[in-house]
Amino acid sequence: MSQSNQPLGPRKVTGKAVPRPKRGAGVQTYVPEIAKGLAITMRHFFQNTKEMALGQRNDPTIEAIDDGVNTISYPEQRRPYPARFRGVHRLTHREDSSPRCVACLCCSTACPAQCIHIEAGEYPEGDPRRGYERFPKRFVIDELRCVFCGFCVEACPCDAIRMDTGIHAPPYDSRDQFIYERDLLMGFSGRDGSHGTQNPRHEPGEATHPGIDREKH
Amino acid sequence: MNLDWVMVALSGLKAFAVVMFAMNVAVLLTWADRRQGAAIQDRVGPNRAVIWLPTPLAQGLAVLPAIAVAAALPAYVKFNAELRESEIGGASLVISQLAIFFVWFTALAIAGKVRNRGIRNSFDAFLAGFGDPRRIVYVGFAAHAVTLALGAFFRNTSTGDALAQVGVYGGAAVFSFAVLFGAGYAAYSIRHEPRVGLRLIGLLHPAADGLKTLFKEDFIPPKADRFLHSVAPLISFFPALVVLGVVPFGDTLCFGVDEQGGLLLSELMAFVPKEGVCTEGALPLGVIDLNVGVLYFFALAGTGIVGAALAGWASDNKYSLLGGLRAASQMVSYEVTMGLTLIGAFMIYGSLRVDAMIRWQAENTWGVFVQPLGFVMFFAAAVAESKRIPFDLPEGESEIVAGYYTEYAGMKFAMFFFAEYIAVVTSSALLAAIFLGGWHLPFINRAGLEIAIGDAVYFTQQLPHALVVVIGLLGFILKTIALCWVQLTIRWTLPRFRYDQLMRLGWRKLLPASLANILLTGMLILLVQGAGAKFLSGLEIAADLTMLAVALLGIYAVVQLVLFLLKPPRKRRLYAPSAAQFAAAMGGTRNARMQA
Repeated sequence: MSQSNQPLGPRKVTGKAVPRPKRGAGVQTYVPEIAKGLAITMRHFFQNTKEMALGQRNDPTIEAIDDGVNTISYPEQRRPYPARFRGVHRLTHREDSSPRCVACLCCSTACPAQCIHIEAGEYPEGDPRRGYERFPKRFVIDELRCVFCGFCVEACPCDAIRMDTGIHAPPYDSRDQFIYERDLLMGFSGRDGSHGTQNPRHEPGEATHPGIDREKH
Repeated sequence: MNLDWVMVALSGLKAFAVVMFAMNVAVLLTWADRRQGAAIQDRVGPNRAVIWLPTPLAQGLAVLPAIAVAAALPAYVKFNAELRESEIGGASLVISQLAIFFVWFTALAIAGKVRNRGIRNSFDAFLAGFGDPRRIVYVGFAAHAVTLALGAFFRNTSTGDALAQVGVYGGAAVFSFAVLFGAGYAAYSIRHEPRVGLRLIGLLHPAADGLKTLFKEDFIPPKADRFLHSVAPLISFFPALVVLGVVPFGDTLCFGVDEQGGLLLSELMAFVPKEGVCTEGALPLGVIDLNVGVLYFFALAGTGIVGAALAGWASDNKYSLLGGLRAASQMVSYEVTMGLTLIGAFMIYGSLRVDAMIRWQAENTWGVFVQPLGFVMFFAAAVAESKRIPFDLPEGESEIVAGYYTEYAGMKFAMFFFAEYIAVVTSSALLAAIFLGGWHLPFINRAGLEIAIGDAVYFTQQLPHALVVVIGLLGFILKTIALCWVQLTIRWTLPRFRYDQLMRLGWRKLLPASLANILLTGMLILLVQGAGAKFLSGLEIAADLTMLAVALLGIYAVVQLVLFLLKPPRKRRLYAPSAAQFAAAMGGTRNARMQA
């Protein structure tokens, strides 16, 4: 419809007339309505206080399983976390308890929050691993920036970074305490208590090493 | 001892008691406020603060007071010579009812516990054999009724005297046994616990919060006025605390005076005449009885505005300044309404002294019946004065951060916060005194209980003077706390006004309505003054009927409360999401070990 078809002047509005809600004296003076609202609040107060005091409160979340109000006293009582809960990161260990990480920067590249900082170091001359991989001189995660998306775990080709500690970052009182350095990250263990992973690792120079080898090829 | 010095010492004690009352009720209110919020949102509420007691100490705390109480009543019965002669009927009534109450209440408490935590020993099994714990309540009520009926039936007969002996001695023995057994059972059932947490239904939480604020950083913005910033919390805290001084908490207590001018404490248990107040050895239960009375309240409540405005100005913060301005204009506006709504009440009572107002109400009827409009408007204005929801525009956190106390932390913030709660207590106390009869309760006068409508007297029972005063005191405290609680409920029910709505309500609704109230009251007073004797006696009967209505309402409320407590809990089945099902599979949330 073009504008020119409309006649000049105010547009005629067509539509269904909706009657205004009747506002009697009770609504206008506001007092009876307040009394009604107060009665509802008081009913809830008495009901909930009685149920709490007498231990009759149904669980708002898992009513059928547990009695009482379902709030828990956190540090003393904790909810069980699901098996795939993403907690604070850990750096897994090799057999010789050095980090599995080869400082490829895949995780810090994948990280959408840019909270991972890695400084790579070269192995010294003569080390069989030199030229094949590097090691993290520094591996820093800012747990306050982290969004716990798990992309770093997905990106890691060596199964070197994991989020299976089951810990969530505790509340500290200053920001620098959330900066987790390499040694701290290596200090965490998985939920089973081990520092390693189930995936096997074959070092360069070992017979089982599957990749291209300086000596053989 | 010199009587004057005693009175001076008592005045100091009274001031201390009043301040303690205001602060403690304010603490209770902070607790109730959080409990209310929790109740609405299905949370537990404040219960984290706990004092851990070693189990032997907890057992001692349960048993030793019980031993003292259990020994005191039989000792009182044994050594009180008066009791054995004339007053045995009344004593028997009180002691036997007390004994019955303690027996069923102890049994009920234990049965409830057993029901929640399961049967552990043979006594638990015996109690559980009764089935529903409500049956214990029904049996208890039946026992109360039967003993009362027996006492009434055999009144003033030889059998009655024998029954009274049984009531006194048997009652005292049963009472002692019930108290000792309950405490012993509690001590026995916690014997394996490594420690016992003293939580006092979360009441320790506000105490912990208070302690916390003391240790917080005392922050003053760099460019703020350091002196005014520090003095502003004091200015708003102090007036809120001292206004209770003019409110009498109870009827005047009459000590007798002997020839040397010393006090006669025995007079406290005597019966006093219905009319008149003693002139010598009188102890008014208010700190000061100022002749300007309520004007003192207004003067000091007005000072509170200065604190808020200063805090806003001295903080060097735009939001603080806005909040301070809002607080000042709001409180000045509502101060006007507050004063004008009370003028109708002053005209009727003919005095500004709070004590005189209460005495008028005790003689006639409560202020809420002669000034219903004034009551509602004063209540609204008092809520607005305390700057709480729905009138909390000065701090409106959705608009101006936290208003005039944006830049306050620690104890200074806590003082503003506390001043608000104390303002709730004082305004409730004043409301109770001016409109709800203060310490007066229906049909109770200085002589005792007298149920009378007009000239017809239906029932009289003389009560000792001290008992009457204590009942009045408790009544006043109950009324104050009830009004405080209504204010909390308002806070948790109503949303905040817009600023123009607030001003319109104050200046264009409440102010004209209060002026109209004054006009109406004046006309009614003229009407009553010109009326005949018949009309006046009709008014008296109407006044007594309102008191009857109040008494019946009180009884109805108590009955409703008992019925509510006896009602079985609602069973609701709710959808359990997968996280909850997982938690349940891991052993529930209550005692689940940390799975991490």
